[in-house]
Amino acid sequence: MSFLGRGPVAPSSAGPLSSERVEAAIQEVELVTDVFNRIVSSCHSKCINQRYLDGELSKGESVCIDRCVAKFFEANKRMGEKLQTMGAAAG
Amino acid sequence: MSPDGATPIVPQAQESGIKAALKYTGVPQSWLSKRPKLPSRNWLIFIGVTSTVTGYYLYDRRQCKAIRQAYVDKVKDLAEAPLRTHDYPRKVTVYGAKWPDDEDSDRAIKYFRKYAKPILVAAAVDYEMIVGKRYGDIASRVADEIKSRRRLEAGIDSPKQSIIIKAGDQSPEAKRQRELEGGIVLIGQPTFKEFMEGLRRGWTDGVEKVDKEDQLARELEADGKFDEVEEPISRVDTESLSDGEPLPTKSRLPPSTGLFTPPYLRPSSDTKSSSASLSSSIPESLNIPPVSIPQRPPILFVPFTNYIGFLQIPHMIWDFFNQRQKVLSGAQCAYRLIKSHTRPFEPSMDLDSGLDAERYYKSSMKKYAESVEKIRTGYYKALPDKLKTARDLARGNREPTKDEINYPPPTEVELRAERLKKELRWRSDVAGWDIIKPETPVAFDERFNGALQIFVDPPDTQTEL
Repeated sequence: MSFLGRGPVAPSSAGPLSSERVEAAIQEVELVTDVFNRIVSSCHSKCINQRYLDGELSKGESVCIDRCVAKFFEANKRMGEKLQTMGAAAG
Repeated sequence: MSPDGATPIVPQAQESGIKAALKYTGVPQSWLSKRPKLPSRNWLIFIGVTSTVTGYYLYDRRQCKAIRQAYVDKVKDLAEAPLRTHDYPRKVTVYGAKWPDDEDSDRAIKYFRKYAKPILVAAAVDYEMIVGKRYGDIASRVADEIKSRRRLEAGIDSPKQSIIIKAGDQSPEAKRQRELEGGIVLIGQPTFKEFMEGLRRGWTDGVEKVDKEDQLARELEADGKFDEVEEPISRVDTESLSDGEPLPTKSRLPPSTGLFTPPYLRPSSDTKSSSASLSSSIPESLNIPPVSIPQRPPILFVPFTNYIGFLQIPHMIWDFFNQRQKVLSGAQCAYRLIKSHTRPFEPSMDLDSGLDAERYYKSSMKKYAESVEKIRTGYYKALPDKLKTARDLARGNREPTKDEINYPPPTEVELRAERLKKELRWRSDVAGWDIIKPETPVAFDERFNGALQIFVDPPDTQTEL
């Protein structure tokens, strides 16, 4: 997955609760939450009708959301790789 | 006409309201009293032609929209049905192979995307698109899938354990059920041929895993092309080895294990036994083609013709102005798929369904095998020189020239790798074309008789929108 691959480098295993590892974990959680929130807002606006009578997801919406999330991840992954290469080339 | 030459229209006191009013707006009187006149003959021709063409174009596009909207309306109620979180939507697999001699391998899939996909999206049917980038890609892919499934069922391979926990019913029966409910969409006659060939191959060949590159590498290094030969013998070399078969008279040439062949590429005396040991791990009984084939998901054949070439430009122009027929055809195919009425495969009728598309294959494709052969001989003619340069530089027989320092020529290892890649590509291309060419009939096996189904029009279809 994109965020797992791009996550911070594993710090030295200096004990189960070292502040480094806690920091790294916090960063990763924030990253994941950010991506999740973006997906939810973007795919909701694109796929789900604003007016609905039923709480259940219809088939059309469900298929649309599947595709939306898949495309989002794919785009996210490619952007991450691109940024990585650009960062590596620059720095 | 009055004798004093007055203008024909005499302004009367009872002029129509407009004329009276306009008299005072400042518009010159001569404009108001002119008679409308047709434009000149040339202008008429121009306006006529332009408006005909434009009008036909606009009519066609409007019809396209109307047809598409009609079919979407027919099916969009299906998308309103609720889908619980643990259910899966219906999923179909779309195969689009490369049309002969087309540089763009996406044309078939683009046809699907443009004409059939909107209806599928409206009906909430999920699709997976598989493109065949080179000739024969779809055939090998289908064959490999079947073989891996055979291996799974025979217990040779264990099913992959994925770390992601998926919701819903993941048992093999449920998966199989979902797959059968899905469907297969084949776009164009080449795809159909490749698919059938892939099916036949998958169910006829043995089950062992064959690494094509490995096999080819073994075959190639038994060949004498990279031999350590002197100049006079090298000419004999290239003449006698034009078809890539292993050298029959090995004794004539110096031993092929030069100092610089990496160990894994040295010809082993027992190439036969190594391949035998691979297959012996699989009991012979499994390699026999099975007698019956399990059910496959139903097949939808989408007629598609790709026009390529200078002589087919009139067809292209006609297509440009008549897209509504493609929209209608694509929408009907998608509708068939959605309604899911199937009938068993009838060899007499269905094997010939796309034959007229083959008339449009370019005639230059008839000589495809020869053209590949020509490229191949050209490559092998140029190879000994490159080899010599590489070897000389590697052994330090001579210093590299300035050009060679700036643009280092390929080393021997690179040359071997390049040769492997090219041979792989040439062979697969020629084999792929053999599947698609018009002389080859669609592959069919008696075992397919009960196992295949075709989507047909639902019984209550009207013939128009």
